[in-house]
Amino acid sequence: MVREQSLTAEFPRDFFGISLPEQPNKYYFMIRGQRLVVEADSTIQTIMDKLQSYKSRVALCFEGFQYQLGDFQLRVGKVVPSHSENLRGIVMEVEYLPISSMEKARQIMEEFVDIWQEAISKRSLPGHFMHIEPNFSEYGLLDHYTPQHTAVQYATVVAQMIATQTVQATRN
Amino acid sequence: MMKPNPLMQQQEPQAVAIQNSNQASSADAPPKQVAMAMDRLAQAARLIADVRLGADRLLEALFIAAQPHQSNKPLHLFAKEDAAMRQHLQNLRTVGRQLEESGVLNDSLRSRSNSWGLHMPLVCPDGAVVAYAWKRQLAGQAGASAVDRTRLALKAFTDQKRQFFPHLDDGLEGQSNEPVSKKHCSTQVPPATLQEDLSDCKTFSDVLTRLEKEMPNLKVFTFERLDWLKRASSLPNSTNENPVETSKEHTFHSLNKLRTGSQGPVTTDKAAVIELLFPSVFRAIVSLHPAGSIDPDAVAFFSPDEGGSYVHTRGFSVHHVFRHITEHAAMALQHFLGIGTETALHFLLHWICSYQTLFTKVCSKCGRLLAMDRESSLLLPPVHRPYRHFSALKVSSTPATSSTKDQFPGAYHIGCFSEDL
Repeated sequence: MVREQSLTAEFPRDFFGISLPEQPNKYYFMIRGQRLVVEADSTIQTIMDKLQSYKSRVALCFEGFQYQLGDFQLRVGKVVPSHSENLRGIVMEVEYLPISSMEKARQIMEEFVDIWQEAISKRSLPGHFMHIEPNFSEYGLLDHYTPQHTAVQYATVVAQMIATQTVQATRN
Repeated sequence: MMKPNPLMQQQEPQAVAIQNSNQASSADAPPKQVAMAMDRLAQAARLIADVRLGADRLLEALFIAAQPHQSNKPLHLFAKEDAAMRQHLQNLRTVGRQLEESGVLNDSLRSRSNSWGLHMPLVCPDGAVVAYAWKRQLAGQAGASAVDRTRLALKAFTDQKRQFFPHLDDGLEGQSNEPVSKKHCSTQVPPATLQEDLSDCKTFSDVLTRLEKEMPNLKVFTFERLDWLKRASSLPNSTNENPVETSKEHTFHSLNKLRTGSQGPVTTDKAAVIELLFPSVFRAIVSLHPAGSIDPDAVAFFSPDEGGSYVHTRGFSVHHVFRHITEHAAMALQHFLGIGTETALHFLLHWICSYQTLFTKVCSKCGRLLAMDRESSLLLPPVHRPYRHFSALKVSSTPATSSTKDQFPGAYHIGCFSEDL
């Protein structure tokens, strides 16, 4: 994930950009303040580099492992800045593969996370997983899940992580 | 049909086996390989028919043995059939091995380049056997157009006959044109049965119309067999890299298909596939055999986002939840067929509709939505819906009010389900 700064003052001064492994040809832009999410071709990054009007402020990398538990797909990974070894946090993605409707899958996902939390609590690990559900409709996104939804979720997660940065630094 | 001498049949595969071991299959010219493979497939089909007959005879022998005051006769019959069956199965195994070796039942020969342009016969996932894989599409189109031409010719003939020779009209206009042989049979059948056939045709669209009325969230489509394959392949697949673009063009194609597929009474006499779609929940496919009847012969469940040529009633979803439901549905289908063939489709379709609560209704036994299935070690929602007393419930419940949804059969996890429910 890359956070860039634009020069024009009237418009938002920064935005999130993210590339997802399952969409190698795409790049997603988000401006949280305006609730905007846009899908672009991945070559936009080359264009931005050439234009030189955008500067990367923070670049985060989410890397880890992917697991399949029947119809559930889990990704657990650590969040590290691109050129450092500091652990900023741990991110977990849960995907229920059979259906794409968020409403229909809501109960199943919640139960799964409950089961997961219960299993985790027995291990007495420090910290806990927090789930923040962004308001997708504000971004113009519908019930059918798309990569744009993923991009918005990551933007929310990163914003949250930065907001609790000091707390995490103390814990680490 | 004359049954070939069983002794001869035993010798056949052995003779072929000897041939095979003497010549390396690569030394055979491709046309000969293809011919041999087609031959063996035909053999296999005959052996399978023999096995089926043998099974019938075994059941017959058991039935006779169950009658009181029997001599040793059923025991003899049983022993004889047992020996014959074992031989058939042994021969079948031999043929199967030969077919595998020559690359027919797997794709091993596909990659070999072949200057003759011929490929080994292919047994496709939906069971069709084609001699030349690359010509399948052409053959399919040629076959389809031949059927259409014949149908048009027959229709023209019938129209002219009706026009110029009205006194020869024998009251069979209501029947479909397609099953011609059926027509010949039915002229010898007393009129009472004919009336029943006609009312069956009417009931098919009745079944569907009633279903659509009672289930507001449901979308029902009917297809002819070839049309279904096209539709399945054009369904957008959620793992596509460019889902937006492909879904646009596929929506266009599938909209066309939908219009032709659901033209109502015109297609009910040729309908072979029924699609039940609960958007965002599941897609169920039911196949009818023969086409135009109301006899379901297979059912399968898929994700609403799944697409591809494997989406048919003998195929399986890539998702575990739908695979389990498909297996359970096969048993429900057998149960409904056992109750009565006229009502089987009606009950089956309504039972399928009870799955619209698949991801929301908790298990009626343990009260949870997700549970670990011990056998497969998977977390699954309640994938079982009881079918044994389903028909009784349907008959006694009042037509579509929102409260009947609660009276619907409960939902059960695999581990929470028991057969007597």
